[in-house]
Amino acid sequence: MTNEVHAARPAAPASPAQPSVVRRVRTRRRRNAVRGLVLAALGALAIAYLFPFVWMISTSLKPTSELYTQPPTFFPVQPTLDAYQAALIGAGNWVLLRNSVIVCLSAVALTLALALLIAYPLTRLRVAPRFRRGLLSWLLSLRFLPSMVVVIPIFATVRTVGLYDRLIALILIYAAFSLPFAVWMLKGFLQEVPQEIEDAAFVDGAGRWRAFFRILLPMVSPGVLAAGVITFALAWSEFLYALILTATPRSQTFSIGVWSFVTEFEIIWNQMAALGVVSALVPICLLLFSRRYVISALTFGAVRDQS
Amino acid sequence: MPVLFLLTVVVYPLFYAIALSLQYYRIGGFAGLHNFAFAFQDALLGDSLRATAIYVGLAMSVECLLGLVLAVAVQRTVKSVLGRTLAYLLFIVPMVTPPVAAGVIFRLMLIPDYGIVNVLLRDVGYRGQPILWMSSPAMAMLSVVTVDVWQWMPFVFLVLYAGLQAVPLDVVEAAEVDGAGAWARFRHIELPYLKPLLLLVLVFRFTDTLRVFDHVQVLTMGGPGASTEFLSLYLYSIAFKFSNLNYASAIALYVVIVISIVFALTSRYLTEEIA
Repeated sequence: MTNEVHAARPAAPASPAQPSVVRRVRTRRRRNAVRGLVLAALGALAIAYLFPFVWMISTSLKPTSELYTQPPTFFPVQPTLDAYQAALIGAGNWVLLRNSVIVCLSAVALTLALALLIAYPLTRLRVAPRFRRGLLSWLLSLRFLPSMVVVIPIFATVRTVGLYDRLIALILIYAAFSLPFAVWMLKGFLQEVPQEIEDAAFVDGAGRWRAFFRILLPMVSPGVLAAGVITFALAWSEFLYALILTATPRSQTFSIGVWSFVTEFEIIWNQMAALGVVSALVPICLLLFSRRYVISALTFGAVRDQS
Repeated sequence: MPVLFLLTVVVYPLFYAIALSLQYYRIGGFAGLHNFAFAFQDALLGDSLRATAIYVGLAMSVECLLGLVLAVAVQRTVKSVLGRTLAYLLFIVPMVTPPVAAGVIFRLMLIPDYGIVNVLLRDVGYRGQPILWMSSPAMAMLSVVTVDVWQWMPFVFLVLYAGLQAVPLDVVEAAEVDGAGAWARFRHIELPYLKPLLLLVLVFRFTDTLRVFDHVQVLTMGGPGASTEFLSLYLYSIAFKFSNLNYASAIALYVVIVISIVFALTSRYLTEEIA
């Protein structure tokens, strides 16, 4: 819209209008062609991005007999939920699903509690700015530490203290590794609440705890909720720690269930697809719900996005 | 305090790793820098590093270039709110898909006999042996890089796109009136705004591709041979298949050093950008 308004402006006072009009029409035509091209490319990209999901869902709904038909059917002719039933209940993966839910929820609770305990003093109490900066940038640096590097000593430690193959080990580790981004994110939200509001509560006789729970927490609850959702999704998707620190269905998470299906000698494709669907669906649904915070969380609040 | 919790979970293991790396495998006892020195004679490590370098280079450059082009293209052509929201939603989905699930998706599409990719190739006229996506070194590399690009190009796109929203409109319009072409507008107006974000994206993608593990483990498990045995997978096999935690710790510490240098070099800009 704005393009055309401005394109028209320089031509308006010109008396030898003929050539400039021609040129304007030509540039506009070329611009439209470029625009069409870009939109077509975007459309193609959209298909490239959505199609894999469609294919996975379609495969998961096929009965086993339909998997090997040539040429493959695009949509299942006789859609059925057999694969889900076989993969989740038949193969016992619902236990892992339950484990995942327990681990993720506990990790979320622990992360949020600890993150608030760090973020609150950093933003509300008098802390030396050097300490503050140092702590924050140290937390940021943890984001870049490859988990493979940390997992080796953690594995050795976990085994010696007897937490190997226990859910609690995963909970502690997931909480520890969600903390950096949670602190950064909550710090951002806490900073946005003016100090005066809290001061007013103090004047009215509220203690620090009371002011925090009754005034501050409700105000930052969208941020807390978003941090929680993202922690959940990260813990849900996590694979490496779960692979190394667990051995039996007692503590394995759903990611491991999906993976062990893939590495079997003869892969049952529709069941594998079914597990993939379940595994992908949980974080996708959660994060669509708090989508405006995803980018901000992944970049430690560097990018604020409102969509 | 909670910081103490972090210290115990993160810093203690680090010291533990140093202790481990200074001991001999199996026999124990102080080994000095033996494990660190051994890394230089380890031909397999060299192969793994080469594979990792190819992977990081390919994935990072394709993601960043494509993401940048796409961000500018969308910014300039898609003006409607609905269109922008749709683009946003479209690209947020692969990012939040668990890597393991992404691996599953591509496994499904790349099955040689009846996977949809080969079927489509046949439909558009490809005649020849069905392509074995996971069984030749080059193809396996291509497959795992594709998955990474598919998942993380949107990240670059979304960050840079958000950055483009911060470019003041009046500057852009003034430039247009002055007759600045599309390229000039990008080069002189938008790029300077995007520079800090580009750095951020590069650091994030570099460190993330360097530690890639999940979807490779699902797709190729490092194979065929060791052609996609990236650093993380190599470490994994040393530490947990051959249970040589000592040597693995030594390599891991090298990685920590490299990452620390990268972080030290960029952290000032990064924290400034973020804080």
